[in-house]
Parts: sequence; structure tokens; C-alpha cells
Amino acid sequence: MPHIVKSTILDASTDAVWTVLRDFNGHDRWHPVVATSSIERAQSSDKIGCIRRFKLNDGSELREQLLALSDLEQSFSYCLLDTPMPMFNYVAHVRLLPVTDGDRTFWHWESRFTTRPEDRDRITHMVAEDIYQAGFEAIRRHLKEAA
Amino acid sequence: MARVYVSTVVNARNDRVWARVRDFNGLPNWHPAIAESRIEGGEPSDKIGCVRDFRLRNGDRIREKLLGLSDYDMFCTYSILESPMGVENYVATLRLTPVTDGDQTFMEWTAEFDCAPEREAELVGNIGGGVFQGGFDALKRVFGG
Repeated sequence: MPHIVKSTILDASTDAVWTVLRDFNGHDRWHPVVATSSIERAQSSDKIGCIRRFKLNDGSELREQLLALSDLEQSFSYCLLDTPMPMFNYVAHVRLLPVTDGDRTFWHWESRFTTRPEDRDRITHMVAEDIYQAGFEAIRRHLKEAA
Repeated sequence: MARVYVSTVVNARNDRVWARVRDFNGLPNWHPAIAESRIEGGEPSDKIGCVRDFRLRNGDRIREKLLGLSDYDMFCTYSILESPMGVENYVATLRLTPVTDGDQTFMEWTAEFDCAPEREAELVGNIGGGVFQGGFDALKRVFGG
């Protein structure tokens, strides 16, 4: 089972980063691959169990469900319900930890999933680089523009 | 219960930093406040349950017991058996996590303990800002950060 772990350091407090990340419906405002995002059934985006529907820039659609969200731990978990790619059992965890030495943020993003052996390397690389690493860079820009 | 949380980022891969700090008897090799250390009973310093007896540069003596050590998750947990600090039920953990974006290491050092209420702020400041951050600063001088 592929296990992806990516992490970075941001020059901002965890509170500032969490304000952006905690909105499960907010990826279309900062992530470069997400064109539009909406929560099904008009539920609140911090209601556990809510489902977000993404349309990506390439036109594909996917649905993800919020499994856990903690303002205390500044973490959330979600799973993929529908995707055009051969990915199964995808569960991801995002977690922010304070770097007290300089009021920075350690951002940890990890996931596990199953797929066909022949798709494993391509999908692992895509998620790690095009989703997670690109997300890190996008938040860095987003925070700079907001400052 | 008082709680201390201090964290930093060191400019080296986590395996290099871990090699520096994993030895439970090795504090004098990297922490500037520690003068000397030995493991009681001649036990290996990575045997869970071993006790280190060390002396600070200010003359204080502390005995600590190794509760947990993981080379896989890169953490070390220990408790204080004896110290002049006036703390009870003191358990601390030093943990290393890789920063994949740039070969750095995220280091966390946490402690929980009981003490007289009027001494809590002073102890939290001394342990977090003094002992733990002092160790981090020394590692940052070695590895950058």
C-alpha cells in the first residue's frame, strides 16, 4: 500500500495557516489544480461527514468526505469517495504543529491508498508532487499575498 | 499538570540529527548544560529501563529513567527519578520528524509534570526556554538552522 508523506516549514504562525486550511471547501481559493469546490447538500464545511465535490482544471471531478477535524490539534482527515483515477481506499491526514523557535509552522500531509501495480509509481508521484508539494508552494504564495 | 512544548527546525537530515541525540548517555556530547553522565549498573544506554545519572555544569545532579526509545519513529521518552528541581511525575519526550521539503528536521521536546502552583511558570520557563531550547540552539550551531 503506497504511503505518501510530505512536510514543509512555513514562515507563519499555525493560527494563520490553519485559518486557510481548516475550510474543507476552500481549496479552490488556493490550490492550483482545483477549479471549483462545493459542499454537497449545502452542509457546513466543518460538519464531520460532509462531502466536497471538486472540479479540477483538467475537467475531471472528484468527491471527498471529511472524516475528522480538530481546531485543538489543528488537523483534519478525509477520504476519496469518487475519482476518475484507479485509486482506492485513499485516506489522508493533514496536521499543523507550531515551531516555537521562530513562530513558524510545521505542516505534515500524509496518505495511504491502494491501486493497480502498474499505476502505483505514477499516482504516487502525482499525489506527492502535483497535489501536496504544489499545495505547499501555493499556500506559501497565498500567505504572502494576504500579508 | 504543567506542560512544556518547545520545537525547532535543524538544517540536517533526521538520521544525522538522530545519530547525535539517540544515546541516552550522550547528553554531554551535545548539550552545553551537561557536564558528565553515566548509566547505572553498567547497562547499555539503549536498554529500556536503564537509568542515567548526570551532572549539570551548575553542579545539580539528576537521575532519569529511559521509558521508550524508537529508531523507527525517532523519539526518546524518559522520566525523572531524582532531581533538585521540585517536580513530580515528570515525563519528557524528544521527537524528530523529517521535513521532506528540503532535508531538514523538525524537533519537538515536550514535558509534563506536577509541581507547586506558584513555581509552575518559573519551571516551565527554565525547562522549555533554558534546558530544551539550549539543547536545540547547540544542535543548530552544529547543523545549522
